Amino acid sequence: MRTHVPNFQGLLNILRKLRSHPEKELRLLLLGLDNAGKTTLLKQLASEDVTHVTPTAGFNIKSVLSNGFKLNVWDIGGQRKIRPYWRNYFENTDILIYVVDCSDHQRLEETSLELAELLQDDKLRGVPLLVYANKQDLATALPASEVAQDLGLHLIRDRTWQIQACVATDGTGVKEGMEWVCKNIPVKK
Amino acid sequence: MIFLNLWSLFAWYLRPFIKWFFRKTTRLCELQRICYGDKAGAARTCNVEKSLMLSRTQSVKEVISFLDATVSEHRFIPENFRDILEPSISIIVRVKKINAKLHTPFITSFRRCLEQIWSYRSLMNDVENLRRTQFDSNNPLHEEKLLKLWSLLVPDTPLENRITKQWQYIGFQGDDPKTDFRGMGMLGLENLLFFATEYPEVSSHVLSHSCHPLYGYTFAIVGINITSMAYYLLKDGSAKTYMFNTKQYLPTINLFHRFYCYLFFEFDKMWIESKPENIMEFSIIFKKFENAVRNELADPASVFRINIEIDTI
Repeated sequence: MRTHVPNFQGLLNILRKLRSHPEKELRLLLLGLDNAGKTTLLKQLASEDVTHVTPTAGFNIKSVLSNGFKLNVWDIGGQRKIRPYWRNYFENTDILIYVVDCSDHQRLEETSLELAELLQDDKLRGVPLLVYANKQDLATALPASEVAQDLGLHLIRDRTWQIQACVATDGTGVKEGMEWVCKNIPVKK
Repeated sequence: MIFLNLWSLFAWYLRPFIKWFFRKTTRLCELQRICYGDKAGAARTCNVEKSLMLSRTQSVKEVISFLDATVSEHRFIPENFRDILEPSISIIVRVKKINAKLHTPFITSFRRCLEQIWSYRSLMNDVENLRRTQFDSNNPLHEEKLLKLWSLLVPDTPLENRITKQWQYIGFQGDDPKTDFRGMGMLGLENLLFFATEYPEVSSHVLSHSCHPLYGYTFAIVGINITSMAYYLLKDGSAKTYMFNTKQYLPTINLFHRFYCYLFFEFDKMWIESKPENIMEFSIIFKKFENAVRNELADPASVFRINIEIDTI
């Protein structure tokens, strides 16, 4: 009889936990230029095959469980034609994830202009920013520190931010970025 | 789940008895019953394949692995059909004790099934190879194909430059299409090129829809997503209905391209009919389209062809 008591208590505890802590849902927004690696990153987060990725027309969404959170990740197409629609997805965003192709030197300026515009938007005010400095496996990739310089991240005063070097195709650095995300979840008003 | 497991266990032991019973009552083996009883095309060929794969006869298993080997050695092509299929068929005829003289219609129809089944397997290899070949702008052959795509789709306007914003007119994302093929590799480009070459009217009709001021979409990017859909339908076997119901062609890369063209044309029709608010509705409409296609392919009697009607949108 005695041995049953702790088990029963344990079960009660689990039930209590379930009731008082409904799974916390978060909205993550993945943005960046086309061919930055957003969809590959999304698939990597969902532990799916990343070798068959196609360009995103419109958007993809996946729900991922991580550190006790349910992350709803929105991956919006990055081509210029689609960028005007990015704003439609800003509302209620908990974390903004911006993906940069560090080997695409020619469009570094374009990507930093797009980011600057995002950071000025009212709907994204105060939303923590994670920048993935992607494609670090390529010989021509700039290091994360240099990309941070080019994007002017050190000038950001109104939100917490982080830059994380990564290789979305094999997952290097992706987990570290997500750990930062889970630690920096803003308290909801 | 348990019920299903029980049933498959049951079926495994019961199958030989059922086959024996029918064999005694109809005096035909299962393969003959299929070839005489099922409608030519997907219904018949898929059942023949199922029957062969379930066979526990050693010689039948050997024939299957012999045919599979010819596929992996890239030898399963029409020129070799005689040399490959004659011995295979005669082994099966002998094992199944079929009177070849009496059953010539069976031999003809069974041979057709074998051609279709192993051409399909061969096609899966070819498609996979093309998909794995990345578009390489240092490869003159790849470059030539890309430029040809432009001249076929937009014959009146020459490209000003290899790297130019003009590419966006046919729905690439930026000023250089090379990064847009991604996971679909050369398969994506070959599909588009076939569409523009073999169906010039249809493809320009679809391209003009993609430039519609209200319901426009990105032609090439959507095309590459359709390549991905066709690829998965081929891989999981759903495309067999389409491939085996096409009377005049065996499953080859050209038939795969035709399948792609059919899908592109049908997607375009559904897109325009849905009157989408903007391109962001793509994911939803594309999913809806895939479900509709899968439903149609699930019926072995479905026949597919492009029906062009004159529309004024």
